[in-house]
Amino acid sequence: MTRKQAKFFFLAPAIIWVFVFTIFPLGYSAVLSVFSLENSVDVTRTKVPLLDDAGEPVLTRSGKPRTRTVIERTVNSDWTFVGGKNFVRITKDMQAAEAAKVTVIFAVVAVTIQIVLGMALALLFNRKLPARGVMRSVMIMPIFATPIAVGYLFFTIFFENGGPLSFTGIPWLSNPSWALFSVILVDVWQWTPFAFLVFLAALQGIDSEQIEAARLDTESSWKIFTNIVLPALQPVIVIVLLLRFAEAIKVFDIPFALTGGGPGVATQSYTFLAFRTGLRFFDVGYASAMSYTLLIAAMIIVTVFFSRIRKSYS
Amino acid sequence: MVVRRYARLYDQVFSVVAIFVALVFFFPIYWAASTSLRNPIDTFTVSGVGVPFLDFDPTLNNWIDQLSTPETQNALINSTIISTLATLLALLVGLPAAYALARFRYTTIKNKDLTVWFLSQRVLPPVATVMPFFLVMRSLGLLDTHLALILINATFILPFVVVILRQSFLDLPYELEEAALVDGASFFQTFLRIALPLSLPSVVTTGLIIFAFAWNEFLFAITISSQKAITIPVHMAGAVDTRGVQFWFMAVRALIAMIPPVVIALLAQRYIVRGLTLGAVKG
Amino acid sequence: MFRRAMLAAPLVLAGLATAASAQESFVKWNDDGSAELLVNDGLWLKTAPGELGDLFGPGEKPFEGVEISITVNTGGPKGGISGPLHTFRPIWEELSGGKLNIVELPFAEHFTKMMTDLRTGTGQFDAFMVGAFWYGDIAAGNFAFPINELMESGEYPQWSLDSMPPSLRQLYTWGDDVLGTLGDADGQALYYRRDILEDAEWQAQYKAETGKDMVLPPRTWQDVLSISQFFDGKNWDDGDDEPDSGMVLHLKVGEQGHFHFQSLSASFVINPGDEVTQFDNVYWFDPTDMTPLINKPGHVAALEFLQELSKTGPAAQVGWSLGETWDYFLRGKSIFVFSWGDVGSLVQDTSRSKIKGKLGVSIVPSSERYWDLETEKWVEGAGDRRVGNTVGGSWHGVISAFSNNPEATYSFLSLMAIKPVSKWNANNGWTGVDPGYSYQFLEPQGEATLAEYEAAGWDPGDVQQYLQAYFDNFNAPTMLTYLRIPGTFEYWDILDKNLSAAMSDQKTAQEALDDTAAAWEQVTDRLDRANQLKLYQAAIEYDG
Repeated sequence: MTRKQAKFFFLAPAIIWVFVFTIFPLGYSAVLSVFSLENSVDVTRTKVPLLDDAGEPVLTRSGKPRTRTVIERTVNSDWTFVGGKNFVRITKDMQAAEAAKVTVIFAVVAVTIQIVLGMALALLFNRKLPARGVMRSVMIMPIFATPIAVGYLFFTIFFENGGPLSFTGIPWLSNPSWALFSVILVDVWQWTPFAFLVFLAALQGIDSEQIEAARLDTESSWKIFTNIVLPALQPVIVIVLLLRFAEAIKVFDIPFALTGGGPGVATQSYTFLAFRTGLRFFDVGYASAMSYTLLIAAMIIVTVFFSRIRKSYS
Repeated sequence: MVVRRYARLYDQVFSVVAIFVALVFFFPIYWAASTSLRNPIDTFTVSGVGVPFLDFDPTLNNWIDQLSTPETQNALINSTIISTLATLLALLVGLPAAYALARFRYTTIKNKDLTVWFLSQRVLPPVATVMPFFLVMRSLGLLDTHLALILINATFILPFVVVILRQSFLDLPYELEEAALVDGASFFQTFLRIALPLSLPSVVTTGLIIFAFAWNEFLFAITISSQKAITIPVHMAGAVDTRGVQFWFMAVRALIAMIPPVVIALLAQRYIVRGLTLGAVKG
Repeated sequence: MFRRAMLAAPLVLAGLATAASAQESFVKWNDDGSAELLVNDGLWLKTAPGELGDLFGPGEKPFEGVEISITVNTGGPKGGISGPLHTFRPIWEELSGGKLNIVELPFAEHFTKMMTDLRTGTGQFDAFMVGAFWYGDIAAGNFAFPINELMESGEYPQWSLDSMPPSLRQLYTWGDDVLGTLGDADGQALYYRRDILEDAEWQAQYKAETGKDMVLPPRTWQDVLSISQFFDGKNWDDGDDEPDSGMVLHLKVGEQGHFHFQSLSASFVINPGDEVTQFDNVYWFDPTDMTPLINKPGHVAALEFLQELSKTGPAAQVGWSLGETWDYFLRGKSIFVFSWGDVGSLVQDTSRSKIKGKLGVSIVPSSERYWDLETEKWVEGAGDRRVGNTVGGSWHGVISAFSNNPEATYSFLSLMAIKPVSKWNANNGWTGVDPGYSYQFLEPQGEATLAEYEAAGWDPGDVQQYLQAYFDNFNAPTMLTYLRIPGTFEYWDILDKNLSAAMSDQKTAQEALDDTAAAWEQVTDRLDRANQLKLYQAAIEYDG
């Protein structure tokens, strides 16, 4: 195998895989979004005598011959081209607008809190502590806890009559604004540790002599933070911001489990709405149009950060 | 001397803060454990923070009830099969690509653009592919099969394999491989006999992390599976019935769902940061 | 965490071991042809001779090697609706030689999975434990297997449609086809604390404060509101030192909160009459053109009333499912709840309930006024015109048109429909199967006796009122029409979200219902208005 062949054969399977399982479905989705798809099934039933292995009729206890039903079915799919109708419909759909608003608020607030809190904790813990290993283990748990389980788990914690937080008297899930905040809190619980761990790792990479020198120059801690630490951490912050934001706009599991999107539609995320539209009510074309809109939003985010990310991989 | 004593006090204060923070982040998991050990009637009546034996008489009944139903066992088996095979499949497809991106120079499309292209798969909203994937699986008669879920999970974790392990290969010294190539070994042999064994620790830990991701996947699992291929997260969603939430079973199921990925993450601790940032930050 | 994982591992093994070792007999045959079925805790249900039909018998395995799958809302081995399936699985497997897979699906996913299977003709499932509001989609699409012939053949366990009141029978049939096997009977009744409301001191105080006599059971919604307001915030139950509530509701979005609105608003909306006309006995749409009626003044006033009523309950109820709400009532925290038959039976379960023997039940009251759709005016002082309802799912088995084994499937579903099973279901609260059939009502209205209920642990006072209330409800002269057209689930989902928004003060009643009407129009247009109209007219028996 020449180098040229090796270059090809090593990389090709992964690229083909992405084309088959990602690019092709996306193309299919694009097609779906401009079509309307109707399914119908024709079924015919015939009653035939029930026979045993020897081909003899099987009788009931009172001696009547038994029958069984044989089913034949044909599935017909009916495609109609509807053009941009589904996309126009999104602009007029109040639920879609509401879901987009909920998603944006969720993503912006949750990611901001995660970064600020994660940074604060990382600065706090960037020192020798007796049980840092334990601390790190505890912080890893939320990140890997199954999100859908986390959603249900927090349902028991936010339960307003008898749950462990009920003493606060806060309407965690029954008030629309609080409910959205509760969903945010769960995401904060799950993903602040991620920001924390990444920032901590990055902090440990900072040249401590530089900080010591600055300290000897009697610069204030705040100045050291803004002049030395923050610039050094900036690339990492961008990475965390991108990864978290890209995840946050897809949020689905937690509102699905915690609030069911309610009260009303106060916590119905965009993905949740698209999922329900397509798979619960079989409005497949419209749901595809909705998810395409989200896809475009995600692309915009990636593009904004694109040059920054490319540097990390050169 | 004064400074040192001051520093020690500082340390103590930080220790207290550290313990507090750790408790806050650990509490929900503790609460699930506590709820799972209560009799249904004790669910809301326990006082304080529900310490077993102190605040209520613990029972293993909820655990036994849940673990002895065939549906739970089935979901556990399914999740194990699907996550394991998806992980192996993603490694099989992704490892050569990761190696290629680390060792060869591509010119038509540059290496870093290829890498970012793989990375960008991770950013795509899955809901955009869930509908077509569902329709394709339906036409292939693969709804509610392990195979469908293995394929889709492998797709989701493939970018991790390519991007993270590319970094691991880059970190290896190239001299050994060069020597092998000079000795007449093929690229494939070099990859298999030299690069792969050397990077085995990071391959294994990356495998663990992507296993956990596959284990936690919910959107596709609930769309594709309905009976035979139900995974633990989908089974979890069934802790709510028409009559409301059975807190005790929910706690048990939540823990059953969470324990494997969390334990695995703890085993793969050293690579967590690199894994979660797709190799962009070295932990 | 590690330690907990270690703890779990042997448990998994123990669980597998118990599952494998359970090999006992669940059926006993007597010489007279009757059989006994082991249901739980050593309780054997006795069937009449011949009641199990011609196929099942000692040593018979008529469906040996057949495997069937039935979907049900998730609930587990002791959950509502799913519980009886688990209970009768080993019995049926022993009788038939077949194998039953119980496919539990979360409430929110069940309909989706079912329709996916049906629309694609997959036939992965043999039957579904459906809610009656799915009939519009199932029956209109010809997705159900009519069981008329199987019922008449005499081969299968014997049950009769005659045991159903007309209001319920309508839910189980589609035209001349019988599609459902007898199961759950859903309707909301008004539950109240008999011990408190009948207390002379409280009655005197109520009179002093409001100037009204307390009529029991309350006849009008306005009375219920007034009583709720009087008791709300007072510590009338000595269970704890906290103030208690008047009314408690289950309003969580995406679940069954909208049924409260349906059963309450019925008497604000429905114009009484002998027949279904453009204006009489209609609730959902104008039967001439499918214009939604949901934002008419009657509906809006009912929602405003429900908002008012909910203020006499705990604020958290906006996020409550049935379980949390029922438990609140069972713990003695509220005077009223209006909900399904489950409440009556759960009250008897003293491990969950503190109010056994203190229960009053009646058909839901009526509004003092209703909106005349024809004259577009309020009709005041309408008197006692209580409207019965079958709101809810009345969850029961329907066989898939694509089942490869409809006979085996029917043999299981009919086994769960016979009289002794039906009674056992009604006797036990956890089954989630509520009374509504003659098998379950007391003699002479039905075929059950007080002694049977007492033997099952019921308080005689509670059960008499309870069964009477449900008898009145299902046999009421005016009934709330049940929506059975394609897209019902989607129409109701839209209504549910808007109601939830109104109940959490995000929208006014008028806004919520206007938004509902507008969204319904879109759904109707999308699903084909002419066809929807035709099916709607058929469903409510409107013939112009």
